[in-house]
Amino acid sequence: MNEILLVEDNPDDVELTMRAFRKSNFLNNIVVARDGIEALDYLFAAGAHEGRDVTSLPQVMLLDLKLPRLDGLQVLERVRANPKTKLLPVVILTSSTEQRDLLGGYTRGANSYIRKPVDFQEFVEAVRQLGLYWLLLNHPPPTV
Amino acid sequence: MHIAIHCVAALGLLFVAVTGRIAYRTARAFPTYAERVVRAVENPVAIAERDGRPRSERLGRITAAVGRVTTYVTVSVVLSLTLLLTSHLLLVREIYRREHIERELHDANRELESFSYSVSHDLRAPLRSIDGFSQALVEDVGPALAPEARSHLDRIRTATQRMGQLIDDLIGLSKVSRSEMKHERIDLTDLVGQIVVELRRQNPDRQVDVLVRQGMTATGDPQLVRLALQNLIENAWKFTARRPRATIDIGQSRDEEGVTAFYVGDNGVGFDSNYADKLFGPFQRLHSVSDFPGTGIGLATVQRIVHRHGGHIWAEGHTDQGACFYFTLG
Repeated sequence: MNEILLVEDNPDDVELTMRAFRKSNFLNNIVVARDGIEALDYLFAAGAHEGRDVTSLPQVMLLDLKLPRLDGLQVLERVRANPKTKLLPVVILTSSTEQRDLLGGYTRGANSYIRKPVDFQEFVEAVRQLGLYWLLLNHPPPTV
Repeated sequence: MHIAIHCVAALGLLFVAVTGRIAYRTARAFPTYAERVVRAVENPVAIAERDGRPRSERLGRITAAVGRVTTYVTVSVVLSLTLLLTSHLLLVREIYRREHIERELHDANRELESFSYSVSHDLRAPLRSIDGFSQALVEDVGPALAPEARSHLDRIRTATQRMGQLIDDLIGLSKVSRSEMKHERIDLTDLVGQIVVELRRQNPDRQVDVLVRQGMTATGDPQLVRLALQNLIENAWKFTARRPRATIDIGQSRDEEGVTAFYVGDNGVGFDSNYADKLFGPFQRLHSVSDFPGTGIGLATVQRIVHRHGGHIWAEGHTDQGACFYFTLG
């Protein structure tokens, strides 16, 4: 299952990210979660996603930091704390490069940290490279 | 407040010294007094005859003298203790005052931090939407758009990106104030060399003569000092862009008080010296953006870095005759 889980609450950002993925023909592989709880529900087949087949995980989770309810860093903590998802590749995709976000992300075991550029063309390019790298180039960890 | 504390403490110490000296002299004189008293008691008649005074009068004088000294010493001790206590109380009050200010400063810093955190997250998101959807519009209906409409969209995007740059620069400036300072020995000549190599790599088409004085060192925060020098050298690089033979001179001299001052000079467009005081204000620009790009935050950043090191910065220059920026690092 070649799949990217996009955790993003801002509808504009979702739309623009989807547009960018569409340009690189990765659109069929994107699953969107609108906040931290929904992301965890998807990963662990709970709540609205109860009964979902969880034998395979997404290739990568693109995680925004400022999210309602459970924020990005808390999501990352829970993902790393669970034996099923502790190896899941997580890329933080957010607006800032504040020291505490970078440190907070990496100390909780983020695999990569990308700042969304304001310039849409740069953003499209970043998303294209992300898709290429995590869906095609990178080998995910074996399923536990 | 400081002067008051110092005066009171000094007075207190003076009184302690005076009291000490009196006590010392009294103690030293004591055997003489004692001997006289003993002799007066043992041989009152002989002494009375020799001195021509009755024994009771002598004893009375000695007792009075001892009494005077005791009073004097007691008053001095009480006075000096009072003064020392007062100065101590003043000091304690001053410490509380400072602790209060420190707490306020700490709160203000935390507020600034959460403010710039929120700015860097929340202010950029709408800009991304404006830029992204303008671009989407160009892509989706571009051919159908009138040239004027297209140009409007281009302007929206340019302005959006400029605002993004301004926000980034503002956040950068506030980071300069917030970061922890290190104090290390820095090889400035080496640092300048690295910056120049990078500038040459980024602008291979520019011909710039860069003179760097050898053996320049300073003490400060390596990252901040690098940022300051980078801003100054990049400015020199930028404002000499129209010179067929651009020259940048980086070296050291001394300020009026003999403190080592480093300078970055160039033969670029310079600035109107009437506006020299505006150079270091955030978002202040003395040249139009179309002539020389930039957000006007560079020199404000440099000034803040220099101030955090306890140094000062000043500039010399004239329109079309180059500019030279001097700074000390405390």
